Amino acid sequence: MSQNSDKETVILVVDDDLTNRLVLSALLKESGYKAIIAENGEEAVKIVDENHVDIILLDVMMPVMDGYQAARIIKSRQTHFIPIIFLTAMTDESALAKCIDSGGDDFLTKPFNHTLLNAKIDSMLRIAGLYKSIAEQNIEIKNKNFQVEQEMVVTKKLFEKIINNDLRGDKTGLHYSMSPMSMFNGDLILAEKNQTSGFDVLIADFTGHGLSAAIGALPVSDVFHSMTKKCFSFNDILAEANLKLIELLPTHMFMAASLISVDRSNNVLSVVNAGLPDMYLYRNGEILHTFKSRNIPLGISKLSASQFEVEMQTLEYGDRLIAATDGIMEANNSAGEMFGLERLLKVFEDNVEAEVLFETILSTCSEFREGAEQTDDITLLEVCHLENIEYKTHVAFQNEHREPSDWSIQFSLDIKSLRQFDALPYIMQAVNQLQPLGSGRTSVHTLLAEMFSNALDHGVLKLDSSMKNTPQGFMAFYQEKQKRLESMQEGHIQVSLHHELDGNGGGRFTLHLVDSGEGYDFKNVDTHKNQYSGRGLKLVSSLATDMKVLGKGNSVMAYYDWSNKSSVNKKSLI
Amino acid sequence: MSVTINVSDDNKLATMKINGRFDFSLHNEFRKAYKDISLGGGQYVVDLSATEYLDSSALGMLLLLKEHAESQGCNVRLTGQGDEIKEILTIASFDKIFTLS
Repeated sequence: MSQNSDKETVILVVDDDLTNRLVLSALLKESGYKAIIAENGEEAVKIVDENHVDIILLDVMMPVMDGYQAARIIKSRQTHFIPIIFLTAMTDESALAKCIDSGGDDFLTKPFNHTLLNAKIDSMLRIAGLYKSIAEQNIEIKNKNFQVEQEMVVTKKLFEKIINNDLRGDKTGLHYSMSPMSMFNGDLILAEKNQTSGFDVLIADFTGHGLSAAIGALPVSDVFHSMTKKCFSFNDILAEANLKLIELLPTHMFMAASLISVDRSNNVLSVVNAGLPDMYLYRNGEILHTFKSRNIPLGISKLSASQFEVEMQTLEYGDRLIAATDGIMEANNSAGEMFGLERLLKVFEDNVEAEVLFETILSTCSEFREGAEQTDDITLLEVCHLENIEYKTHVAFQNEHREPSDWSIQFSLDIKSLRQFDALPYIMQAVNQLQPLGSGRTSVHTLLAEMFSNALDHGVLKLDSSMKNTPQGFMAFYQEKQKRLESMQEGHIQVSLHHELDGNGGGRFTLHLVDSGEGYDFKNVDTHKNQYSGRGLKLVSSLATDMKVLGKGNSVMAYYDWSNKSSVNKKSLI
Repeated sequence: MSVTINVSDDNKLATMKINGRFDFSLHNEFRKAYKDISLGGGQYVVDLSATEYLDSSALGMLLLLKEHAESQGCNVRLTGQGDEIKEILTIASFDKIFTLS
């Protein structure tokens, strides 16, 4: 009969009539309950406050405090559900309604039937049991919620650490907006300076939320930053990140991402879009090009570096690339409509000033959502190609505490090596290991990169740089480069690097590259003839302390002087 | 039911149909539908003709189905997708890893 065999069910009998109390107590004992008694409402309230009571049988008319008032007080103070059954001689409906009104859960009219009383007690105990388990579940849910909230806090911190970067700002032309919710939705933006003094940016959207997305973000950020610093190519970075994610993520999770690179020495924008919405290149008030997704998101299929489809566009100063995760399209207003592609494109069509394009997209979207519940999952990115770019100094290099020394190093790469891997990052790494480059790091990297691609593209592969005169030509140039690399049978590049201390706490780098090509008539080349091609060597000459073209034009030597105090290179950086 | 599955008599073709929204809420139902099915070679077909919407977690579920199918030497074909759903599948380049018809 009782709800819980190991604990006696306690029933409080409240009645001012002694006979009633005695009869009821006897009946309850007979049914296996423990009965305690009170003579009026006030006593009942006191007993409930101080003792454990499972059910209350409450008379209505009593001196000192009647049943209605006692019920109200008890119900207002109860921390758990204590059923109250009114016992009353009154039968008119309004009196019975008043019983329920004042907090009673049921009533029984006197004189009462023993069986009916037991049935009502049983039923009330069952309801009390239900209340109890709901209350327990609520506590459990509250604890779980607390855990989830804690995880959110951890995730947020993790993401902030990962995303935190100093490249963002008006001086670099990198702008982005990420709402806190977008981080929980697994959106990610990473940026790193590249060897051309431009930067590489990764914008990504993980399936999944919170911590599970952060798990993927950590290795991706690691791969992105370390490989970009080491000058690995775009495709290599993507292939590596893809592999890491396949290893780590469960089958149903993946990362839609775009890798964007601004090459400042050739003024070229390269984009690999793997599963993100269209990205737009904006020039002079209109969309010049749309970068559509042409690749499978990362973390799904194993792909080699060459399987990622790169799109390139030549850049002019003032050009802007706008990219977003699907959050902005799917932002809802109060009517449940999505912001959508049309509204986004309308902002472009409205011919807003380029300088405020980014803010206008954000404000248009938030105006649209006015009044709607903040779902807050908007990630928007703008990369602007500025004529002059300024980085905060501490981003430009990392201080490494190693003593400078004199050294020479030489690499010879035959056509097979050139075909099989991108040697540049490995050479750069070797240089970094040998020498703390300090503030000259980027310059030395750029010099080496430009001289190397000059030797490979125009020397070994005999590619005509005038191909790059048109935007279409640029893509064709890189396709042709790939083709020739694969089919070329002969060729080599020799890279000689030499470092010598100057005795004043600085030193001189000598970079000497010789290729197997035919060279060119370097004395008669007009470097100002066009905008895009031949920029490599021009950049070298502006960056190096001094530069010479030797032999038949297939040998280039550059010097770079550095000092410990600051970069005293005679020529200013870009 | 939002997800139905029919297996052909020769046990070489399983056709799943998704009705309404295909999103995270179907996670369990979708998995349950195919998890005990073992085809002797052949193909899983996902009929999206009655699907109104598809989100990235649905893409994830399709990858799980693909894994299940491939473990039995089967492939997965997606069929009946309307323009909007086709657009989502194309953005994710799922046309490269699934057969679309």
